[in-house]
Amino acid sequence: MAGDKAAKTYLGVPLFRPKVAFFELSSCEGCQLQIVNNEATLIDFFSLVEVVNFREAMTERSDNYDIAFVEGSITRSDERERLKKIRANAKILVALGSCACFGGVNQLKNRFDQAWVKNEVYGNFPVETEAARPLEDVVKVDLNIFGCPVKKEEVEKIVINLALGKAIVHPKYPVCMECKANENICLFDLGEPCLGPVTRGGCDSWCPNSKFGCWGCRGPAEDANIEQMKFIMKEYGFSEEVMLDRLECFGGFKTYAEEFRKSLPTVVTPSRKLFGTPPLKIRGGRGSYDSGEKDK
Amino acid sequence: MIFKVFDKKELKKLFDVLSSDNSIVGPVEIGADRNDQPIYAFSLVSDFNNIKLNYSTTKLPAKKFFLPFKEDLATFTIKEHGWQKNVDYNIDRPYIFFGLHACDINALNKLDKVLMGSTYPMPYYAAKRKNMFIVGIDCAPQPYCFCRSMGSDTVLHGFDMFLTDIGEEYFAEILSDTAYNFLKKINTRDPVEADHFLYMKSVSEKNKKFTAHVDTTDLTKILDMEFQSEVWKHWGQQCLACGTCSNVCPTCYCYGVEETVDINLKSARKTKSLYSCNLIDFAEVAGGHNFRPEQHIRLKYRYYHKHRGFVEAYEESLCVGCGRCGESCLAGIRVPEVIASVRRQED
Amino acid sequence: MDTHLKFTDIKTEGRQKSHRRDDFEAFEFTYKSEITNIHQLTEMENLYRIQILDPEERKRFTFQPGQFLMLELPGIGEAPFSISSPPSRHGDVELCIRKAGNLTNFLAKISRGTHVGIRGPFGTNFPMEKMHSQNIFLIAGGLGLAPLRSAIAYAQDNRSRFNNVEIIYGAKDPSQLLFTYQYDTWQADDINLNIIVEKTDPSWKGPVGLITKILEEIFSKKDDDFFKNTYAIVCGPPVMFKFVCNMLGQKDIPMQKMFVSLERRMHCGMGKCCRCNVGSTYTCLKGPVFDYWSVMNLKEAI
Repeated sequence: MAGDKAAKTYLGVPLFRPKVAFFELSSCEGCQLQIVNNEATLIDFFSLVEVVNFREAMTERSDNYDIAFVEGSITRSDERERLKKIRANAKILVALGSCACFGGVNQLKNRFDQAWVKNEVYGNFPVETEAARPLEDVVKVDLNIFGCPVKKEEVEKIVINLALGKAIVHPKYPVCMECKANENICLFDLGEPCLGPVTRGGCDSWCPNSKFGCWGCRGPAEDANIEQMKFIMKEYGFSEEVMLDRLECFGGFKTYAEEFRKSLPTVVTPSRKLFGTPPLKIRGGRGSYDSGEKDK
Repeated sequence: MIFKVFDKKELKKLFDVLSSDNSIVGPVEIGADRNDQPIYAFSLVSDFNNIKLNYSTTKLPAKKFFLPFKEDLATFTIKEHGWQKNVDYNIDRPYIFFGLHACDINALNKLDKVLMGSTYPMPYYAAKRKNMFIVGIDCAPQPYCFCRSMGSDTVLHGFDMFLTDIGEEYFAEILSDTAYNFLKKINTRDPVEADHFLYMKSVSEKNKKFTAHVDTTDLTKILDMEFQSEVWKHWGQQCLACGTCSNVCPTCYCYGVEETVDINLKSARKTKSLYSCNLIDFAEVAGGHNFRPEQHIRLKYRYYHKHRGFVEAYEESLCVGCGRCGESCLAGIRVPEVIASVRRQED
Repeated sequence: MDTHLKFTDIKTEGRQKSHRRDDFEAFEFTYKSEITNIHQLTEMENLYRIQILDPEERKRFTFQPGQFLMLELPGIGEAPFSISSPPSRHGDVELCIRKAGNLTNFLAKISRGTHVGIRGPFGTNFPMEKMHSQNIFLIAGGLGLAPLRSAIAYAQDNRSRFNNVEIIYGAKDPSQLLFTYQYDTWQADDINLNIIVEKTDPSWKGPVGLITKILEEIFSKKDDDFFKNTYAIVCGPPVMFKFVCNMLGQKDIPMQKMFVSLERRMHCGMGKCCRCNVGSTYTCLKGPVFDYWSVMNLKEAI
């Protein structure tokens, strides 16, 4: 693909023009779509790297690559084996998006009885699946690119930095920093819950920009003050379940969420409801939330 | 100082005259909060009816017009064996600020001291500041306003015209000949003794309405003494380290600089972004050492800079008491309470 | 009357641009410069010789030992570095740079002839003239020798104006010693050179231990009168200058006669960004060189 016109040096220093490959495990492929969904810079992007494997954009295949971008979480044993092979081929393995970094939305199923989950999803056509896990549970990950989906501007910046040999640094501050810069009205002022104050920034407050409270897809900000966040949620009249649903949604807050659940007076076990609709639902729109009351 | 009085209806006329030729920034209503209270913001406005001159406080100051969150300090054209640096101050026209409160004008005056003083004046700020025409307006103290404690409830300079509501009319202070000439476009009259009384009455009634206070007596020394105080840990524990207090502050100017290469590798830029001293990596250096690794130390530093360091340098605080930081802080960390706790004045 | 506000353009086109601290243009004024040579000092540190391209500007560029400048590689970054070269060389400066971040790692990859930008000089300096006709202790730990080298060069250029000049230099191990090729010339200019390493290797014949050990030895050879006429410059990590300055204090050297250089990460160098603040003092304006009394009065300095 493209590329022969690629600049070979920057300020006289030779650039690293990596062979890159894109792979997907269990995912919606939305992160890869983000990367091709940018006509304005696509040519430049593909001249920085030599793409040898990208199912969404080309038909050729090669196992000779420097960087593997892997989207999705691991939910089957064959994916585990595939990932190990990718790891063996790649010099740099990048977890692309929240599924790959934390398990993502897929790991929500881990909270429920797996037999029930399988039956709900596949019915009479069972598929062998296991708990959804992030890549780093199986292989060494060199770089995480957070987000559901990833932000194309951020991926581009990372690729530029890889080419230049600059370190990849993620923002350590929470989403609020960018949200304020975008002049948004705080969602708490509007009566909406939001994980912005504890979630890693870098998304340019993508969701709050559309008055949609943060669900924490990028995982915790450095030194995130979860304890204070719990207190704030309560102050603003949101139940512990509202916060937990968000903390659990993408898997980035896993350790906090588990501890939080344990600390609740009535311990809610993941398999608490084996019948009917599972209690957690995420829908589009303004942080609409279904606590599963109807099952009581 | 020259004073004029004019009928309130004349203000719309003045606005219309000015807006036909200039860009005007003013307070507008952008929504309502969960308690159905209006939320205000400074925004470009072309219709006088959209300006809410009786606004309480905007969530954010008008900072984006003179200290944008992000701006390029320079761009570079990259060539095979060299580069060209291009500097632009990112402003192309004057702006009229219609309806700034005294606290926000005082904030500009404080920023002027550090950003337009004799030591390395900052052209990015100066270029914008020198193109501000300011019409100030009096305000009603809100429960969170402690500007009076900070000496920022009135403003002596830094504006072109300041309006005080004296009932049927506005009492106008005029500081610039530009403002004086603009006022010729509408019907004004010279104030008489009765207008002075109305003005003084309005001022004294405003003063009675303040409920939040900060005791600034000896504050620089006390902050120094209480550097190791446990109260900082108390506040540090609550702080989310989200930077909101700095972002909503009309006087916070700290920033970071980042250089990036554009994706075509033919250009690069040096970008300044406002940063907050409460963010975890504010004092981190190359190699990873963090001079302020703990949250309470960072929070303390912010108070130190505002209420001690700036006082030492300029004999005034870098806080105007607008109360925005406390109102926006989800953790509820408010300046009057923090300072009272340092002074052991908790009630 | 016109109601159109006039745009005030603060750009003063056509005027000679220079680094004058009260000019608006000074803020982002860059001396276009060339890396004329790169000298590898150790595995981690290189010495970069950087020349301001314009000969007039190069001549006009003056600085004092202890000051720093901002070095910029477009798109890669900009960071502060102490000037390591003699002030007499003006805008033909040398910077001793350790690989520690994006900019310095990239610098390690560039070659001679690359164009860079420099801004400055910034900050306070070691008050060399005040020290005339006195003894001077030049004490460095690790990379602290970088800013100190400019003061050493000043002492060499003005050798008659100082009495006893002692360099006391401590490094982690012999492989990390900087400017080894200059030791002979320093000594030839009647400067006493005392080097100590924390960890020895077979090549090392000198003393082993902490810098305080070598100080004690030197102290034992000097009488009280010596210390009455002594200035000290201490460059190194905070923990080091704290110990060293306390020792000097025990010899009754006043704190106003000890100077230290603080290292912080400036983003502007001009008292604006606040990133280098210690307590609420701008290291870039009031420092990086402080007398020890001022450092004692700075919260969070040590």
